[in-house]
Formats: sequence, C-alpha cells, structure tokens
Amino acid sequence: MREQVLRRVRQALQGRPRAPHPGTLDTGVPDAPAPVEHFADCFRAAGGEVHRFAGADAARRWLHGFAARFASVSHGAGVPASLALPAPEAPPRRAELGVSVARAAAAQSGSLVLSSRDGRRTQLLPPVHVVLVDAATVTATLGEALDACRGDGGSALALHSGPSKSADIGQVMVTGVHGPGRVIAVLLDDWPGP
Amino acid sequence: MEIRSREYPERSRRGGDVRASVTGATLTFDAHRRAAYAGVAAEEWRHWAEGVKTHLLTHLDRYLEEAEARLEANGAQVHWAGSQEDVHRILSGIVERRGARRAVKGKSMLSEELEVNELLEKRGVDVLETDLGEYILQLLEQPPSHIVGPAIHLSLDEIRRLYHETHGTEPDATPDELAAVSRVILREAFLAADMGITGGNFLVAETGTVALIENEGNIRLTTSAPPVHVALVGIEKLLPRWSDLAVFLQLTARAATGQPVGNYVSMIHGPRTAEDPDGPEEVHVVLVDNGRSDVLADPEAWEALRCVRCGACLNACPVYRQTGGHAYGAVYSGPIGSVLNPGLAGLHAAMPLPFASSLCGACEEACPVRIPIPELLLSWRRRAVEAGMDSRAKAALLKAWTAVATRPGAYRAAGGVLHALPDPVRRVPLPVVGGWREVRADPEPSRTSFRALWREGIE
Repeated sequence: MREQVLRRVRQALQGRPRAPHPGTLDTGVPDAPAPVEHFADCFRAAGGEVHRFAGADAARRWLHGFAARFASVSHGAGVPASLALPAPEAPPRRAELGVSVARAAAAQSGSLVLSSRDGRRTQLLPPVHVVLVDAATVTATLGEALDACRGDGGSALALHSGPSKSADIGQVMVTGVHGPGRVIAVLLDDWPGP
Repeated sequence: MEIRSREYPERSRRGGDVRASVTGATLTFDAHRRAAYAGVAAEEWRHWAEGVKTHLLTHLDRYLEEAEARLEANGAQVHWAGSQEDVHRILSGIVERRGARRAVKGKSMLSEELEVNELLEKRGVDVLETDLGEYILQLLEQPPSHIVGPAIHLSLDEIRRLYHETHGTEPDATPDELAAVSRVILREAFLAADMGITGGNFLVAETGTVALIENEGNIRLTTSAPPVHVALVGIEKLLPRWSDLAVFLQLTARAATGQPVGNYVSMIHGPRTAEDPDGPEEVHVVLVDNGRSDVLADPEAWEALRCVRCGACLNACPVYRQTGGHAYGAVYSGPIGSVLNPGLAGLHAAMPLPFASSLCGACEEACPVRIPIPELLLSWRRRAVEAGMDSRAKAALLKAWTAVATRPGAYRAAGGVLHALPDPVRRVPLPVVGGWREVRADPEPSRTSFRALWREGIE
C-alpha cells in the first residue's frame, strides 16, 4: 500500500512546478514587553494564574501555604526536592493537586511547555495543576521555546496555555472539563539545583 | 464517505430550527478571529503559511517518506491507507491483536470521513467520543455540524433536555453541572480504555511529530492514558520542519477561535520511552490518502489541500450562518466542504454544493492559508455545467450571462434593454436561484440602473 500511495502522489505531481520553502518565519515583535511579564499577561488572559518569586525560599513559603488546602499531591518526576510539597503523595488519579516542572515557556502564546518525562498523568488528572517555571527558560516566541526543547528525549511534549475549558454546551464557557480547572504557573527568577 | 448533498435545497430551508444557535456561534467565532488576526502580522503569517503548504504539497512524496522514517526511528508504527477499506483493515488488525474492547476518541473529522465508529462497533468495540460536543452528538446519534464546534447547532435547552432524559440531571441544570456529569463518565472511560483514537492537526516530517490542538484536555488524555494510541492523519496534514509547527499552531488557533493557541497542544513523537513514567506502549500513525492524491492531481482543486480545518470559512460564510452544517449532507460542510467534497467524493456525488455560495469572498479573506475558495467554487460550477450535471437551461443562461458580464459595453447595453422592457418580461428567469425564487416573492426591479444612479450621484 505504501508504494501505491507514493506512486499516486508522484503521478499527481507530474508537471507541477515545485515551490520553494519560504524559510523560517520570525514571529517576534520588536517592541514586545519583557518575556516573563508578557508570559504572565498572556497566561492570565487565557484563565491561568501566575505567581513570581525571587528564589526557592520565597517560592517554598508560598507553595507550603498553598498545599495546606489539599489532602494529597502528585509530584512530577522532575520537581526539585527543595520545592516538593509537604502534603501526602498520591497517585495522579486520586491526588487533589498535581505539581509539574515546565521544560520552557513562551510569552507570545502564554504557553507552558511540558515534557512526558515529567509524567503525563500528573499534568492532567488532578483538578488543580501547579507548574514550576525557571524564569530563565521563558522565551519571547513559541518558536524559540519549541526550538529549545528539540531532541529533548521523552516521547511527547505538550503545551498547557490555560485551564481545561469548553463552550460546547450552548456556547457557555465552562472550565475543568477533562483536564485541570485551575492551572497555576509559579515562576522562579533564581532556580534551585536538583 | 457517504454524501447526501442532493437534499441540500430541502435541508437548507429547514435551517430555521438551528439558525439562532448557528448564527450566534459563528458570529462570535468570526469576531474573535478578526480580533486575533489584528493582534499579529496576519497578512505576513498567511502568505508564509500558504508558501509552506504549497512547498509541502509539491514535495509530498519526499516528506511522506521522511515522516515515516522519523516516526519509525522514534518507535512509532506507520501504516499506509489508500482507501477507507484500508483504514478499516488496519484498525481491525490492531483491535484484534490487542484484544481491545473499549476505545476513547478525540474529535477527528477524518475519522468521520472514514466511518471509524461504525467499524469499531461492528468489531464489538465500545467507542466513546470524548470531546464534550462530540459526546453530546453521539448520544443524539447526529454527525458534527461544524469542524471546530461540532454541536453549535444545539441550544442549551436541547442539551438540558437530552441530559435530563439520558443522565437524570435536573431539567434546568447549568452548563457546569452538565459538564461535571460528563467529566465523571468520561474520566472512567479514559482510564479503562484499551485504545485511544485521534486525528492529527499536523505531522512534522523532520521530527516525526503528530500535533493535536484542543481546549478540553480530552485529546491529551486520549493520547496519554490508554496503552495504545492510533492517530489517523491525512497525507496533506504534513509540515516540513519543526520550526514550521509553532507558527501553524498559533495561526490555526487564531483562525479557529481567536485564541493565541489552543489551551492544550499535544506533540507526540512516539510511544513511551524508558525515560517516561507513563504514556502509551504503542503509537500507530495511519497515513490516509482516501481521495487526496486525486485532489492533488487536479490542476485547480489541489489548492484546497492546504486546508488546516480551522472552520474560519464556515464562520465567515453568510450561507453557512443561515443553514448550519447538516444541510450540506457531507462531513465537510461550509465553503471548504463545497470545494473539497467534489474532489474527494466526485463532483456528481457532491452536487449541488459548489452552487451553495454567494461568492462574496468572505471565506477567502478569513482563510489562514489563503485558499481561493470562490475561484474553486466557480471551477466546480463550470465543470458541472460542462458535464451537463446542471439543467441545460441554466447552462445556456450562465453562458449568456458570462458572455455579457465580461464585456462592459454589452453589459451596459443589456441593462438598458432590460430596464426598458414591460413588467412581466423584465422578470427574467435567473440561473441558479430558481429554488430560492420558489418560496420568495420577486423584488420590484428598479427603473433606473445602478450605473445610471452612480453617474448621477447616489443620494
């Protein structure tokens, strides 16, 4: 079947002029705001929440306070030990809170780039998702963020750019349909070691 | 692919039932699309995207081979399907080998085209649509009416009634309550499923990556939770380079819903590796032709293969807004459907869809890959007339009209003659709109031509 499909495609293209690739399109904007601020604006506009801290100590204080509201948590494989939450660990399908690490983030589209190596169930099953972001990995454009993750290993990447939502019921927006209804980006200007 | 476009004239007049829902939803989508285009260098993006897809299509054999090699290097299994029967054979093989009993599905127009649900049910597989709109339509046993918002023809009240009858919710349940009921049912289905089936918005040849755009998270779960993931990808969905993907993801989302990007994007290179704590053990990518190479061979219609299935042309179309998608009687509705269906299923089967347009050009302006839809509609109309698929009278009238309208002198003269004729004669039989006139009173023609008014200055 492979040869048949390829032969049909080649026959179809006989005599058709071959068009060149137009090259890489830079979607950057000259007067764009600083990437971290721009990311925060775009992520919030899509319904996400953003907190920014200077370093691990300040982030940990906030995270511990936040985690106190949850009975159980599922940590992604890449969460640094110094930022782990004190709540009891549970498998993703039962955890009330999921904590992941972003591989990168893109300001222009307000996107967190997540890796399958961190664990997909932790990113998707708990109703609330906290994503830890090294501010140094926030790029201006989505193209730059995806370039940074190319050849990363792991079988899949994902963009999470807001909470799970749908307007399929009478065009009324509802959140938390299948994935997390709350997604919170926690940005650290100074990222701790593992 | 079954097409029931012959019933278009009757079905389109029944649009009154869905008009409020469809018109409201499409106007909202279209307004969001306009605002989103205004936020970026949309003209530059659209020209670039047209160029990338044109390059891809004119080198399609090479990129198909590259995508196959990369996917296999990533550990995915690649299948080639020339027809719907091939797809059914491939899916049956996977179902049998895995002993699959339960499948979850992400929204996929290609799977509708290929009648995948019917096949799986015949094979004894319980298949559940997981996109909220598609789930609702599966309960109602209806096909989707819009590429992006499959259930936009349904009102909140209709869905409330359905859930009251099928799920026992209160008759006045809120959308949040209805979504919560669905979440519980579908969450169980994701975790119990033996396989997940999706389409593919893009397949990047350079890296062997299937990319999927959505907002609910159901596609993320369909591709993450079950042990097997099958992606059905039309051969025209390839992109040459990894660096192309970021722009196409954003442009498609801006065109479809006006978002900077879908809230979830899955980019799948292959099955779970030793480094992954979870994910499918098997990833299958089915490269589907099913008529696409015929369209590619067509010197005009091949441009429609650039389509990224954003639905922007449906939202912009004054005809679609009135009729909704079901009137078209085909999986692909609206302007893009009217140019794709004749190519995929044959012009005879798709009649009279190329005539279901006012040729106003709104679709082409909205299209993120600049498909010249009005030109393609005219091309199919011309072929239909030449093949005698339209009535001889209409053919003659169209021919005469073309002869007059393309010569300004003759057009002026003909207009003058018409205005001078007595009333009953002035009501000339018009081509194409015969059905339209059956149920509407004729307007009173003006005694003065527009040209004359224009010269004198319109007040």
